[in-house]
Amino acid sequence: MLDEAVLAELRTSVQGDTGFVRELVDAYVADSAALVDAIDAAVADADADALVRPAHTLKSSSATLGAMTVSGMARTLEAAGRSGSLDGVEVRDAAEGLRGEWEAATAALRDWLARAGSP
Amino acid sequence: MTDPTVALVVDDSRVNRLVLIRQLAGLGLDALEAENGAEALDLLRANPHVIELVLLDVIMPELDGYATLEAMKEDAAIRHIPVIMVSGVEELDSVVRCIELGATDYLTKPINPRILGARVNASLTAKRLHDLEREHLEQQRALTATIERQRAELARFLSPQVAGLVSSAEGEQLLAGHRREITVAFCDLRGFTSFAEQADPEEMLGVLGEYHTMMGEAITEHGGTLEHFAGDGVMTFFNDPIPQADHVERAVRMAIAMRERFAPLAQAWHKRGYELGFGVGIATGYATLGRIGYEGRYDYGAIGNVVILASRLSSQAQANQILLSQRAHSMIEDVVEVEPVGDLTLKGISRPVPVSNVLGVVTPA
Repeated sequence: MLDEAVLAELRTSVQGDTGFVRELVDAYVADSAALVDAIDAAVADADADALVRPAHTLKSSSATLGAMTVSGMARTLEAAGRSGSLDGVEVRDAAEGLRGEWEAATAALRDWLARAGSP
Repeated sequence: MTDPTVALVVDDSRVNRLVLIRQLAGLGLDALEAENGAEALDLLRANPHVIELVLLDVIMPELDGYATLEAMKEDAAIRHIPVIMVSGVEELDSVVRCIELGATDYLTKPINPRILGARVNASLTAKRLHDLEREHLEQQRALTATIERQRAELARFLSPQVAGLVSSAEGEQLLAGHRREITVAFCDLRGFTSFAEQADPEEMLGVLGEYHTMMGEAITEHGGTLEHFAGDGVMTFFNDPIPQADHVERAVRMAIAMRERFAPLAQAWHKRGYELGFGVGIATGYATLGRIGYEGRYDYGAIGNVVILASRLSSQAQANQILLSQRAHSMIEDVVEVEPVGDLTLKGISRPVPVSNVLGVVTPA
């Protein structure tokens, strides 16, 4: 669900600045809540075009912070949006499971930060 | 201290922008950010000389990486700014397309700061070399334009042959001084002194202007080197700096052309009450040629007996006479038709010299 190696590498890339990683997580939580909402709405409306943009951004941001499961689901949804068809078991699973996975990922990120210690 | 280098980070994800900006800061770069290609183009066009590098996400809403790159390459003001594509591993095919479109390099997410550093430095180095090259080319263009302007301006003051010398490599040697056989033609006006006394200065300058224009055209047509104008006196020589095998004939033909063109001018002046006549002295001989004068004001000139002889002949010439020295005459006997004037005693020359007056040329040009 959360690839801690990605987070560790990210922290190393900013000279071990956990405070900066905390800022990133805050930005991620704030921005991705709106993305998950937009994805839910697009799926509910069966609007493939409206699905592409939030799914793409969520895929990319989630991967940066090691939230690989969310990123993978977002990739499936982005591809579905681009193909114009939201049918298929995989797409439906991703759409239904996304919010729960995202909540779990943000909790895991908070937990990782708590363990990593305050800046 | 110089301003830090500014990079533009273009990515639809704020998280990704924050990471890149932070990593660039670690490399000493400042960053501007854009959420999509359209915003990026606006920023680039507003700051074409500030932004030195673009980190561009391939897949973005609004305007994607391809379209942004294409728009940049079509805009002369920003096409030189290097672009490093940033993509997910699964988007490598797109990266190839971007490089074909003119991207400098690429990075894959997640971004390794050391690879980022290497790519950024390589791109900036290439850009700075390119900028230097451009700057150098512009300087060169400006310099060439200045030289051309100076050459053009110089050609208005000097005879074209001398202007050519000044701006040529072999010119320096010729300017330094050399000896050569030349033909000198001295021309001046009979009656000019009394004309100068009675005419208004404006009137005199007007008459001189018409006369010099006519003379100048004839000199240019015949390839003469103008040494100087001194009031009504005009000294021209041939066979230097550009060698002319037919230098004597050229001088004689020029003098005849001047005499013919002088007639209508003299007629017009006559109507205004001025009596002016035209006389020429032509001599051939060796002279020393080169730069004459002093630092700040040099002329290209000729020194030698031939110059004195031509000048004396010119003073002796009656209106409409073209007096030819014996040596000059002997060199073009079959071309020129003359009448003997006799042996003239000339000031500063010990023995009387045989002189002819040119009537015309046997085979007109």
